[in-house]
Amino acid sequence: MADAALFEFLHAEMVAELGTRDPDPDPDPGPGGQKRSLSILEGIGFRVGQALGESVCPCPARLPQETLALREELDVLKFLCKDLWVSVFQKQIDGLCTNHQGTYVLQDNNFPLFIRMALGPQYLEEAPKFLAFTCGLLQGTLHILGFESLVTSSMATLPACKFQVVIQKS
Amino acid sequence: MTVHNLYLFDRNGVCLHYSEWHRKKQAGIPKEEEYKLMYGMLFSIRSFVSKMSPLDMKDGFLAFQTSRYKLHYYETPTGIKVVMNTDLGVGSIRDVLHHIYSALYVELVVKNPLCPLGQTVQSELFRSRLDSYIRSLPFFSTRAG
Repeated sequence: MADAALFEFLHAEMVAELGTRDPDPDPDPGPGGQKRSLSILEGIGFRVGQALGESVCPCPARLPQETLALREELDVLKFLCKDLWVSVFQKQIDGLCTNHQGTYVLQDNNFPLFIRMALGPQYLEEAPKFLAFTCGLLQGTLHILGFESLVTSSMATLPACKFQVVIQKS
Repeated sequence: MTVHNLYLFDRNGVCLHYSEWHRKKQAGIPKEEEYKLMYGMLFSIRSFVSKMSPLDMKDGFLAFQTSRYKLHYYETPTGIKVVMNTDLGVGSIRDVLHHIYSALYVELVVKNPLCPLGQTVQSELFRSRLDSYIRSLPFFSTRAG
Protein backbone atom coordinates (compact mmCIF):
# COMPACT_ATOMS: atom_id res chain seq x y z
CA MET A 1 0.00 0.00 0.00
CA ALA A 2 1.40 3.35 -0.99
CA ASP A 3 1.78 6.09 1.58
CA ALA A 4 -1.56 7.57 2.62
CA ALA A 5 -0.34 11.07 1.84
CA LEU A 6 -0.02 10.12 -1.82
CA PHE A 7 -3.71 9.34 -2.07
CA GLU A 8 -4.64 12.46 -0.10
CA PHE A 9 -2.65 14.78 -2.34
CA LEU A 10 -3.95 13.16 -5.51
CA HIS A 11 -7.50 13.34 -4.20
CA ALA A 12 -7.06 17.01 -3.32
CA GLU A 13 -5.90 17.69 -6.87
CA MET A 14 -8.83 15.81 -8.39
CA VAL A 15 -11.20 17.86 -6.27
CA ALA A 16 -9.43 21.07 -7.22
CA GLU A 17 -9.62 20.18 -10.89
CA LEU A 18 -13.13 18.73 -11.05
CA GLY A 19 -14.96 20.18 -8.09
CA THR A 20 -14.31 23.87 -8.59
CA ARG A 21 -17.26 26.08 -8.01
CA ASP A 22 -17.88 28.49 -10.84
CA PRO A 23 -16.98 31.98 -9.53
CA ASP A 24 -20.16 33.54 -10.87
CA PRO A 25 -22.87 30.97 -11.22
CA ASP A 26 -25.09 32.60 -13.83
CA PRO A 27 -23.31 32.64 -17.17
CA ASP A 28 -22.64 29.40 -18.90
CA PRO A 29 -22.51 26.56 -16.36
CA GLY A 30 -24.93 24.64 -18.52
CA PRO A 31 -27.42 22.34 -16.92
CA GLY A 32 -26.02 21.92 -13.41
CA GLY A 33 -22.34 22.71 -13.96
CA GLN A 34 -21.30 22.12 -10.37
CA LYS A 35 -23.43 19.02 -10.09
CA ARG A 36 -21.95 17.55 -13.23
CA SER A 37 -18.37 18.07 -12.16
CA LEU A 38 -19.09 16.39 -8.84
CA SER A 39 -20.64 13.47 -10.68
CA ILE A 40 -17.36 13.02 -12.55
CA LEU A 41 -15.60 12.74 -9.21
CA GLU A 42 -18.24 10.30 -8.10
CA GLY A 43 -17.75 8.31 -11.27
CA ILE A 44 -14.02 8.05 -10.63
CA GLY A 45 -14.79 6.88 -7.12
CA PHE A 46 -17.23 4.33 -8.49
CA ARG A 47 -14.60 2.78 -10.74
CA VAL A 48 -12.01 2.76 -7.95
CA GLY A 49 -14.56 1.24 -5.59
CA GLN A 50 -15.30 -1.55 -8.00
CA ALA A 51 -11.64 -2.46 -8.34
CA LEU A 52 -10.98 -2.06 -4.64
CA GLY A 53 -14.01 -4.14 -3.72
CA GLU A 54 -12.62 -6.90 -5.86
CA SER A 55 -9.12 -6.69 -4.47
CA VAL A 56 -9.82 -6.41 -0.75
CA CYS A 57 -12.59 -9.00 -0.75
CA PRO A 58 -11.97 -11.48 2.05
CA CYS A 59 -10.50 -14.76 0.99
CA PRO A 60 -13.16 -17.50 1.33
CA ALA A 61 -10.69 -19.84 2.98
CA ARG A 62 -10.46 -17.49 5.93
CA LEU A 63 -14.17 -17.65 6.60
CA PRO A 64 -16.52 -20.42 7.72
CA GLN A 65 -17.07 -22.70 4.76
CA GLU A 66 -20.80 -23.12 4.51
CA THR A 67 -21.77 -19.45 4.80
CA LEU A 68 -20.78 -17.82 1.60
CA ALA A 69 -19.43 -14.59 3.02
CA LEU A 70 -21.05 -11.28 2.12
CA ARG A 71 -24.38 -12.62 1.07
CA GLU A 72 -26.41 -10.65 3.53
CA GLU A 73 -26.80 -6.95 3.05
CA LEU A 74 -25.62 -6.21 6.57
CA ASP A 75 -22.48 -8.29 6.08
CA VAL A 76 -21.66 -6.27 3.02
CA LEU A 77 -22.12 -3.00 4.88
CA LYS A 78 -19.93 -4.28 7.69
CA PHE A 79 -17.34 -5.18 5.11
CA LEU A 80 -17.43 -1.60 3.83
CA CYS A 81 -17.05 -0.20 7.32
CA LYS A 82 -14.15 -2.44 8.24
CA ASP A 83 -12.09 -3.78 5.38
CA LEU A 84 -12.80 -1.18 2.73
CA TRP A 85 -12.37 1.79 5.07
CA VAL A 86 -9.15 0.35 6.48
CA SER A 87 -7.71 -0.19 3.05
CA VAL A 88 -8.50 3.37 1.95
CA PHE A 89 -8.22 5.41 5.14
CA GLN A 90 -6.25 3.14 7.52
CA LYS A 91 -9.09 3.19 10.04
CA GLN A 92 -12.52 1.69 10.56
CA ILE A 93 -15.67 3.74 10.35
CA ASP A 94 -17.08 4.78 13.73
CA GLY A 95 -20.75 3.92 13.51
CA LEU A 96 -23.21 1.98 11.38
CA CYS A 97 -26.97 2.44 11.78
CA THR A 98 -29.78 0.92 9.79
CA ASN A 99 -33.55 0.96 9.69
CA HIS A 100 -33.55 -2.66 8.43
CA GLN A 101 -35.28 -1.52 5.26
CA GLY A 102 -32.26 -0.97 3.12
CA THR A 103 -31.16 2.38 4.49
CA TYR A 104 -27.84 2.57 6.28
CA VAL A 105 -26.02 5.48 7.84
CA LEU A 106 -22.25 5.24 8.08
CA GLN A 107 -20.87 7.70 10.56
CA ASP A 108 -17.21 8.72 10.64
CA ASN A 109 -16.37 11.06 13.50
CA ASN A 110 -12.88 11.78 12.20
CA PHE A 111 -13.07 11.57 8.45
CA PRO A 112 -9.41 11.42 7.39
CA LEU A 113 -9.79 13.84 4.51
CA PHE A 114 -11.19 16.45 6.90
CA ILE A 115 -9.09 15.84 9.94
CA ARG A 116 -6.41 18.32 8.95
CA MET A 117 -8.82 20.91 7.63
CA ALA A 118 -10.76 22.20 10.57
CA LEU A 119 -12.28 21.48 13.92
CA GLY A 120 -15.62 23.24 13.75
CA PRO A 121 -17.52 25.21 11.16
CA GLN A 122 -14.61 26.67 9.16
CA TYR A 123 -14.51 25.45 5.52
CA LEU A 124 -17.96 23.81 5.85
CA GLU A 125 -18.96 25.29 2.52
CA GLU A 126 -16.06 23.67 0.69
CA ALA A 127 -16.41 20.31 2.38
CA PRO A 128 -19.10 18.56 0.26
CA LYS A 129 -16.93 18.24 -2.81
CA PHE A 130 -14.38 16.32 -0.76
CA LEU A 131 -17.01 13.65 -0.17
CA ALA A 132 -18.12 13.00 -3.76
CA PHE A 133 -15.27 10.60 -4.52
CA THR A 134 -15.92 8.60 -1.37
CA CYS A 135 -19.66 8.38 -2.13
CA GLY A 136 -18.77 6.92 -5.51
CA LEU A 137 -16.30 4.59 -3.85
CA LEU A 138 -19.03 3.10 -1.66
CA GLN A 139 -21.42 2.80 -4.58
CA GLY A 140 -18.83 1.09 -6.73
CA THR A 141 -17.91 -1.43 -4.08
CA LEU A 142 -21.57 -2.22 -3.45
CA HIS A 143 -22.08 -2.61 -7.18
CA ILE A 144 -19.31 -5.16 -7.54
CA LEU A 145 -20.81 -7.10 -4.63
CA GLY A 146 -24.18 -7.16 -6.31
CA PHE A 147 -26.05 -4.32 -4.65
CA GLU A 148 -27.29 -1.26 -6.48
CA SER A 149 -27.34 1.72 -4.18
CA LEU A 150 -27.64 5.46 -3.80
CA VAL A 151 -25.07 7.12 -1.55
CA THR A 152 -25.35 10.64 -0.24
CA SER A 153 -23.25 12.44 2.30
CA SER A 154 -23.73 15.15 4.87
CA MET A 155 -21.75 16.87 7.59
CA ALA A 156 -22.60 19.17 10.46
CA THR A 157 -19.19 20.10 11.77
CA LEU A 158 -15.82 18.99 10.52
CA PRO A 159 -14.17 16.55 10.81
CA ALA A 160 -17.27 14.38 11.31
CA CYS A 161 -19.43 13.26 8.40
CA LYS A 162 -22.14 10.78 7.49
CA PHE A 163 -22.79 8.67 4.44
CA GLN A 164 -26.31 7.52 3.81
CA VAL A 165 -26.55 4.35 1.76
CA VAL A 166 -29.91 3.40 0.29
CA ILE A 167 -29.96 -0.04 -1.28
CA GLN A 168 -32.13 -0.09 -4.39
CA LYS A 169 -34.46 -3.05 -4.41
CA SER A 170 -34.80 -4.50 -7.86
CA MET B 1 11.10 31.52 31.26
CA THR B 2 8.98 32.93 28.51
CA VAL B 3 8.01 32.67 24.90
CA HIS B 4 7.59 36.12 23.40
CA ASN B 5 6.45 35.60 19.84
CA LEU B 6 6.73 33.43 16.74
CA TYR B 7 7.13 34.15 13.04
CA LEU B 8 6.75 31.75 10.13
CA PHE B 9 8.23 32.85 6.82
CA ASP B 10 8.30 31.12 3.46
CA ARG B 11 11.20 31.14 1.02
CA ASN B 12 10.02 34.36 -0.61
CA GLY B 13 9.79 36.28 2.62
CA VAL B 14 6.02 36.10 2.95
CA CYS B 15 5.01 36.07 6.60
CA LEU B 16 2.87 32.92 6.74
CA HIS B 17 1.99 33.26 10.36
CA TYR B 18 2.63 35.49 13.33
CA SER B 19 1.51 35.07 16.90
CA GLU B 20 2.62 36.58 20.16
CA TRP B 21 2.20 35.72 23.83
CA HIS B 22 4.34 37.85 26.14
CA ARG B 23 5.44 40.89 24.28
CA LYS B 24 5.66 43.96 26.45
CA LYS B 25 7.17 46.28 23.87
CA GLN B 26 5.70 46.67 20.42
CA ALA B 27 7.79 47.80 17.49
CA GLY B 28 5.80 50.98 16.92
CA ILE B 29 5.48 50.30 13.19
CA PRO B 30 2.73 48.49 11.29
CA LYS B 31 2.98 44.72 11.49
CA GLU B 32 3.56 44.44 7.74
CA GLU B 33 6.62 46.65 8.08
CA GLU B 34 7.81 44.65 11.03
CA TYR B 35 7.60 41.38 9.04
CA LYS B 36 9.64 42.91 6.24
CA LEU B 37 12.20 44.26 8.67
CA MET B 38 12.45 40.91 10.41
CA TYR B 39 12.80 38.98 7.18
CA GLY B 40 15.38 41.42 5.84
CA MET B 41 17.46 41.06 8.94
CA LEU B 42 17.26 37.26 8.88
CA PHE B 43 18.20 37.26 5.22
CA SER B 44 21.21 39.46 5.92
CA ILE B 45 22.29 37.39 8.88
CA ARG B 46 22.14 34.26 6.77
CA SER B 47 24.41 35.65 4.10
CA PHE B 48 26.65 37.34 6.67
CA VAL B 49 27.05 34.13 8.63
CA SER B 50 27.85 32.08 5.56
CA LYS B 51 30.47 34.58 4.34
CA MET B 52 32.13 35.03 7.73
CA SER B 53 32.36 31.38 8.62
CA PRO B 54 35.96 30.16 8.42
CA LEU B 55 34.75 26.61 7.81
CA ASP B 56 31.99 25.05 5.79
CA MET B 57 28.82 25.03 7.82
CA LYS B 58 26.19 22.39 8.27
CA ASP B 59 23.38 24.19 10.06
CA GLY B 60 24.31 27.82 9.51
CA PHE B 61 22.61 30.47 11.60
CA LEU B 62 21.02 29.02 14.73
CA ALA B 63 20.24 31.81 17.20
CA PHE B 64 21.31 35.14 18.57
CA GLN B 65 20.76 36.81 21.88
CA THR B 66 20.77 40.28 23.34
CA SER B 67 20.70 41.41 26.94
CA ARG B 68 16.97 40.72 27.16
CA TYR B 69 15.88 38.08 24.69
CA LYS B 70 16.99 35.22 22.47
CA LEU B 71 15.97 34.65 18.85
CA HIS B 72 15.87 31.02 17.69
CA TYR B 73 16.00 30.29 13.99
CA TYR B 74 15.21 27.12 12.04
CA GLU B 75 15.17 26.80 8.28
CA THR B 76 14.13 23.83 6.17
CA PRO B 77 15.60 22.95 2.76
CA THR B 78 12.35 24.24 1.23
CA GLY B 79 12.97 27.65 2.72
CA ILE B 80 10.35 27.64 5.47
CA LYS B 81 11.71 29.61 8.41
CA VAL B 82 10.51 29.23 11.96
CA VAL B 83 11.60 32.09 14.20
CA MET B 84 10.86 32.17 17.89
CA ASN B 85 11.81 34.77 20.46
CA THR B 86 12.18 33.69 24.06
CA ASP B 87 13.94 35.00 27.13
CA LEU B 88 17.58 34.17 27.81
CA GLY B 89 17.02 31.09 29.98
CA VAL B 90 15.94 28.92 27.06
CA GLY B 91 18.57 26.62 25.58
CA SER B 92 18.57 25.09 22.12
CA ILE B 93 15.01 24.39 20.95
CA ARG B 94 15.66 22.99 17.50
CA ASP B 95 13.36 20.05 18.14
CA VAL B 96 10.55 22.41 19.13
CA LEU B 97 10.97 24.51 15.99
CA HIS B 98 11.15 21.37 13.90
CA HIS B 99 7.95 20.11 15.54
CA ILE B 100 6.16 23.35 14.65
CA TYR B 101 7.23 22.83 11.07
CA SER B 102 6.63 19.10 10.69
CA ALA B 103 3.70 18.37 12.97
CA LEU B 104 1.78 21.62 12.63
CA TYR B 105 2.68 23.46 9.43
CA VAL B 106 3.02 20.38 7.22
CA GLU B 107 0.15 18.44 8.76
CA LEU B 108 -2.40 21.22 8.99
CA VAL B 109 -1.43 23.65 6.25
CA VAL B 110 0.40 21.71 3.56
CA LYS B 111 -1.95 18.74 3.85
CA ASN B 112 -5.03 20.92 3.90
CA PRO B 113 -6.06 21.39 0.28
CA LEU B 114 -8.05 24.49 1.20
CA CYS B 115 -4.98 26.34 2.47
CA PRO B 116 -3.17 28.02 -0.42
CA LEU B 117 0.61 27.90 -0.03
CA GLY B 118 2.63 31.08 0.01
CA GLN B 119 -0.04 33.12 1.76
CA THR B 120 -0.92 34.01 5.30
CA VAL B 121 -2.39 30.92 6.93
CA GLN B 122 -6.14 31.24 7.54
CA SER B 123 -6.82 27.84 9.07
CA GLU B 124 -8.25 28.20 12.54
CA LEU B 125 -7.28 24.64 13.36
CA PHE B 126 -3.62 25.44 12.67
CA ARG B 127 -3.76 28.54 14.83
CA SER B 128 -5.42 26.89 17.78
CA ARG B 129 -3.16 23.82 17.67
CA LEU B 130 -0.09 26.02 17.45
CA ASP B 131 -1.25 28.15 20.35
CA SER B 132 -1.95 25.16 22.57
CA TYR B 133 1.37 23.53 21.62
CA ILE B 134 3.33 26.66 22.53
CA ARG B 135 1.40 27.03 25.78
CA SER B 136 2.26 23.45 26.68
CA LEU B 137 6.01 23.99 26.32
CA PRO B 138 7.93 23.62 29.58
CA PHE B 139 9.56 27.02 29.14
CA PHE B 140 6.35 28.85 28.27
CA SER B 141 5.24 29.92 31.72
CA THR B 142 6.29 33.37 32.77
CA ARG B 143 7.19 34.08 36.38
CA ALA B 144 6.90 37.82 36.66
CA GLY B 145 3.68 38.10 34.69
